[in-house]
Amino acid sequence: MNYYLKRTAQIPLTILAVATLTFGLIRLLPGGPFTQLRLELLQQGVPAEQVDARIEALQNIRPDAPLWQQYLDYMVGVAQLDLGQSISLNEPVIDVLARSLPWTVFLVVTSTILMFVIGVVIGALQAYWEGSRFDRITSGGSIFLLSVPYYIFAVIFLFFLAFQLQLFPTGNAVARGVDASLSLAYFSSVLHHATLPILAFTISGIGSTALNMRGNGIQVLGEEYVEVARLRGLSNNRIATRYVARNAILPMYTGLLLLIGFRLGGTVVLEEIFSYPGLGYYMIQAVNANDYPLMMGCFLVITVTLVVGVYIADLTYGLIDPRISAGDSDEY
Amino acid sequence: MATDSSSSVSDHVVSRGTVEDPIFEITDTSVTYDGETRVLEDVNVSIDRHEILGIVGESGSGKSMFASALLDAIPDPGVLTGDIRYHPPDGPPVDLLGLTDEELRQFRWEEVSMVFQGAMSSFNPTMKIGAHFEETLKAHDKRVSEGLEFARELLENLYLEPERVLDSYPHELSGGMQQRALIALSMVLDPEVLVMDEPTAALDLLMQRSILTLLDRLQRKYDLTIVFITHDLPLVASLADRMAIIYAFQFAEIGPRDEIIGNAAHPYTRALLNATPNVDAPLDEMQPIEGEGPAPVSVPSGCRFEPRCPLATEECRTTDPPLAAVDRDRTTHRSACHHPATAREEIQLNFDEANDELESASPVEPSEPAVETRAEQTSETPLLSLDDVAVHFTEEQGLTERFTKDPTVVRAVDGVSLDIHEQDLVCLLGESGCGKTTLGKTLIGLQRPTDGSIEYRGQDIWEAKDGDGEIPYDEIRSALQIIHQDPGSALNPNRRIADILSESLRHTHPNIGRNERRRRMHSLLERIGMAPAEEFLDRYPHQLSGGEKQRVALARALLMNPDAILADEAISAVDVSLRIEIMDLMLELQSEFETSFLFVSHDLSNARYFAEHGDGRIAVMYLGEIVEIGSAERLIHDPRHPYTEVLRWATPDLELDSMGAGDPPLREVDVPDPIDPPSGCRFHTRCPVAREACREQHPDLRRIDDGDGRVACFREDPNHEYWDSEPVDGAVEQPEEFTGN
Ligand code: SF4
Ligand code: SF4
Repeated sequence: MNYYLKRTAQIPLTILAVATLTFGLIRLLPGGPFTQLRLELLQQGVPAEQVDARIEALQNIRPDAPLWQQYLDYMVGVAQLDLGQSISLNEPVIDVLARSLPWTVFLVVTSTILMFVIGVVIGALQAYWEGSRFDRITSGGSIFLLSVPYYIFAVIFLFFLAFQLQLFPTGNAVARGVDASLSLAYFSSVLHHATLPILAFTISGIGSTALNMRGNGIQVLGEEYVEVARLRGLSNNRIATRYVARNAILPMYTGLLLLIGFRLGGTVVLEEIFSYPGLGYYMIQAVNANDYPLMMGCFLVITVTLVVGVYIADLTYGLIDPRISAGDSDEY
Repeated sequence: MATDSSSSVSDHVVSRGTVEDPIFEITDTSVTYDGETRVLEDVNVSIDRHEILGIVGESGSGKSMFASALLDAIPDPGVLTGDIRYHPPDGPPVDLLGLTDEELRQFRWEEVSMVFQGAMSSFNPTMKIGAHFEETLKAHDKRVSEGLEFARELLENLYLEPERVLDSYPHELSGGMQQRALIALSMVLDPEVLVMDEPTAALDLLMQRSILTLLDRLQRKYDLTIVFITHDLPLVASLADRMAIIYAFQFAEIGPRDEIIGNAAHPYTRALLNATPNVDAPLDEMQPIEGEGPAPVSVPSGCRFEPRCPLATEECRTTDPPLAAVDRDRTTHRSACHHPATAREEIQLNFDEANDELESASPVEPSEPAVETRAEQTSETPLLSLDDVAVHFTEEQGLTERFTKDPTVVRAVDGVSLDIHEQDLVCLLGESGCGKTTLGKTLIGLQRPTDGSIEYRGQDIWEAKDGDGEIPYDEIRSALQIIHQDPGSALNPNRRIADILSESLRHTHPNIGRNERRRRMHSLLERIGMAPAEEFLDRYPHQLSGGEKQRVALARALLMNPDAILADEAISAVDVSLRIEIMDLMLELQSEFETSFLFVSHDLSNARYFAEHGDGRIAVMYLGEIVEIGSAERLIHDPRHPYTEVLRWATPDLELDSMGAGDPPLREVDVPDPIDPPSGCRFHTRCPVAREACREQHPDLRRIDDGDGRVACFREDPNHEYWDSEPVDGAVEQPEEFTGN
């Protein structure tokens, strides 16, 4: 079958598999959410005979129906973006996700782009000045950044810059009382709150990007076409951009999209540290509160984003890098 | 060694040699690394205006350094010293080493430009070919539209479609097209001198020769001076006016082409000439040169060639011979040897005698009946039997086409039937993309045919794989082995030779002990010339030379006790001087191990050597079909298919009178796209004698009446309507008339 069709068909299949998994976890785990919910409802004084109905209303699952029926109901619910009711927050999961996802995306995308740009610039300079002092020092720095996990930076920043020096807030995405609008106050507040998480998340990724770029750059600089370009009398500027940068950065493109996906998972700890109300923050909340529907909702969103990211990377790489689009049919 | 003219010769002052109107004068020029390692030493030569100078040297002899020196482009941190003077057509001479950076930038490509070996690696892979032309024109402040007009003219002269090429990414073109596009790019500023460093090494012979013919035309049309650097002596011999031999960072000999080929005075040159596989030379006389050229750190103090020279004397050990005129009255021919006269006397050139001998006695006479009988062995079940096999690949497409168009199908192999007998030897010969590798892989059951069947001793291989066959698939699999083109990538770099070899031994002889295994590997390694075997067994692949790796790959295949071995271009990665040795070894082992060989090659002289010595057949392939098959002897001396004649033409030889003779007997340089092969006879788009009938009808392989083998061409059938139809555009009545267009 055609590769791209196959690839496209995999997307709904993967999502289906993840949804099935979440269903299984929610429904079948012993001591799982329903036992919990039932207990809670009973404690709240809901009459025992109404408990099942309440559960059904909350989670679009009928505990007394046959399993396949429950499964179908759940799937139809998921397809309609009905992920059930959060137990701890007492509102629909989808609302929580809709509220928190933008913040997370904002964090991840900004920090990944920053990380990429800074890392590429540093790596490119290192490649050009290979063996220089700058190269040696930054290489050391990159390896250091690579080996320190981002949450260490997060904790350090939080402690010194937020708690000790009080330069930055210690939690939330906007200051209390600032309404979401297109005003300057709102934007500056958002930026102020996001600075530390973004900083921590950016710094930790710079190391690997720079090392990567350095390696690619050195390799491209050694390519014959760069030498030929010099002999042809092209300006250094043109060689640096059209020849070296282009060919060194292109192979990193797929990695970048994947990285965005993986870093989405990384926000779980980051947002917890900064009490930043994104997806990861709610996920931890859900775990602590045994709030399975919310937990699974977050899980579902993160997985789907990852799958879609990989898919887009796959699909567009051929468009971005002309070398890929044609199969190698030299010898047959 | 008798006293000869040598003493008087070496008295000659070192001169730059005489050329009438030099475009380059190079004096005392050296390239050093780290202040002492010299990779080019005291070169004194001149290059004549509008000449083609062919420079021949082994890899690592400093020949590329010489190329770079002409553009003052020695890779860092090398240092170029001496004096290189360039004489423009008008104006005062230019001192190359005294130019400022900006002057040098303009000098390069406008006056002297360069074509590198790998065209693919000379283009930016993420930029279209056209953009390369544009940026070059802009960087030199030329008008882009006029420049592109000129570029189109150049491309057309190189038999390319200008618009298509300019609008392609490098990887979308075939190797031959890329190389020609690169030549056009190097000429786009209309330079005076073109320096070419192995410009055709990665290409098929036929493409190499075609490019050389085109170069010859370009040179005359645009009054170029060409410096052509290569390791391939016969190749450049067909093109060059003068030739020079570089050995160990110095010029060993330089002179007019005919002098160098016919009357070489340096022992190294003569040895090189004798080591060249040559279609016309008697086979037994091709001699490899023993040993290797010295590394830059260990150049001998006397004559550089002394350690390998059969004529070396005491004088050679102590005194470095200068590059001086060989004969007093002929200052154009200079050689760096103390004993040129002895060299000419003692080292006979084998191709000299070749011509007379071939006419009278055929050196392979005794083998001929064998070929006949083998071809007739139809009663016995063949070892491998292909019946009307086709292999079609679905090609990957771009993003948008994937959703809209039908997938394109590459017809790699189409309708091939072929029998391989026990202990048979068949060479599959053809240009790249003709399907020879695919056919080879199909033959040994690595590639599943999309149509037709392949049988091993009467058992369909793919049925056996699917589980219903009398001979188990595993047995077939280990009976059919392959040796790859690049032995380096086929051997696991993390395992020692002993481990690599014992793997196959364990497979064939699961019950023998460790010592017995070691003993067998030991004796096999000794047998294939890798002594001391103990030492080699404990080495890793990267510690071996290319030839040794290929031997290990061969040993590994043999330990599987195979019935047939596919050698896929197995010797093209090996140095020319070693090829004969490896081929000899394969042939010896063939009879010892009673196996069949399938030898895939694009080089007629290699295929011929193999087929003649091993009494085998050569199958010529074109666009997925076998167009001619027969004994090497008949194919070389009496080719029937026009395409076989083309391949014969493309095979370089050292006969002076046939040299430089004409254009390829082809109407087109490039092979048509195998996605949509031409109708009728697939060769009709390039065939010099194609006629209207060839467009419509497809010729089948038919037995040749007065010779062995088969051929697929209407010209074999005296009653075919071919003879009554009109020649197609550009074609001629008789092959002899064809001169190209
Ligand atoms: S100088 Fe002596 S060693 Fe050198 S090539 Fe001549 S004969 Fe051989
Ligand atoms: S059949 Fe016609 S086109 Fe084909 S090789 Fe023969 S003459 Fe040429």
